[in-house]
Amino acid sequence: MNRIFKPQVLGAVILLSASGALALYGQPDLEQKWQFMAPEFEPRLLERQVQIDPAELLSLMNDDYISLIIYDVRSERDWNEFHLVDSERIALEALPTQRERLRALPENGVVVVVSNDEMLATEAWKRLMVLARPNAYILEGGLNHWLNIYGLPADEAGGGRAASLARADGTLRHSFKLALGDRHAAAHPDERHAPQREYTPRVKLLKKIAKAGGCD
Amino acid sequence: MAPYDLVGYFGLTGSYLIYIAIGFAFGFILESSGFGDARRLAAQFYFSDLRVVKVMFTAIVVAMTLIFWSTALGLLDYNQIWVKPTYLWPGIVGGLVMGVGFILGGYCPGTSLVSVATLKIDGMFFLLGHIAGVLVFGETVDSINEFWNSGHLGFFTLPELLHLGTGVVVFLVACLAIAMFLGFEWLRGAIYGKTQ
Repeated sequence: MNRIFKPQVLGAVILLSASGALALYGQPDLEQKWQFMAPEFEPRLLERQVQIDPAELLSLMNDDYISLIIYDVRSERDWNEFHLVDSERIALEALPTQRERLRALPENGVVVVVSNDEMLATEAWKRLMVLARPNAYILEGGLNHWLNIYGLPADEAGGGRAASLARADGTLRHSFKLALGDRHAAAHPDERHAPQREYTPRVKLLKKIAKAGGCD
Repeated sequence: MAPYDLVGYFGLTGSYLIYIAIGFAFGFILESSGFGDARRLAAQFYFSDLRVVKVMFTAIVVAMTLIFWSTALGLLDYNQIWVKPTYLWPGIVGGLVMGVGFILGGYCPGTSLVSVATLKIDGMFFLLGHIAGVLVFGETVDSINEFWNSGHLGFFTLPELLHLGTGVVVFLVACLAIAMFLGFEWLRGAIYGKTQ
């Protein structure tokens, strides 16, 4: 009888009970993890601290000191019609495959998620926060907003009218004569000749980068 | 939610004091468990004294259970814990080299530091050899770069390997640990004819 109450037996029983209960309880999925993290990260979304203006993204695309990743989480059809130069198309479900890469991002690493509006990109941003908490942002107004600003030449545009940002239904509301992907001029506008915009910079690097040297 | 930014909460000095306190407690437990004694460490390989393997494996399964319970309850963000990526072939060879070094020298790198803390001469020489090995490796790793990066599986843990839920894997590892303790005790009794 005393043998049962030996400390090591008691320890083994506690350990098996705790681990067995854990096997039944399971681990949180991405949605549950986001619920745990929401008190810390949701205010950034609601206060629009992570939604960056298209002009800021354009500036990042032209900044050699930034290690920039642009995730495009739209459908393949929309991607084929138009996407930003150097962006990477990835489905929401495939984001966990990027965990290791995101965790290895340098201190000057910035991730920007784009979709047609903001809905899908916001969902992707939440998942990225759960996966690796990278220094990630969302393109404000999505590619519809981007195209409203940086536009399409008349010979590339199918319709040519600005998309209404108020009607954010997740669709690409610009039409194209040809699905040229990133070969549209608006996929990488020349920063010097693109429309100049006032914006509040949102991107904060984890480490200040000293811009020095070079020939410019 | 953990892990906490100790420097943010307590400042640099405060966080260093916490690190020292944790290090002191860790060293105290290691030394008092016999991790600073080469003969006792080597005895694990002959099944004559199993306290080190018991302490080590108990620490592993308890930490594992606590980590994943904390994750399940939203107290810890597991994704913020650094899990080394798997490089299969160098991992296997490195494990073999480490095992041979352990049984020949009586220490692993960490336990040699524990022994140095109590001024053991053999531990000091082991540590010198360790440092020399680190330097030589650092200077020559470029010549074995292909092997060094071979078998890369990325973030690859038991749940991915077994295609089982994390909680189930934790339970299985706990069962394995207890079975191992019982098996080792039986083996020790069979070899040396006595029980601890």
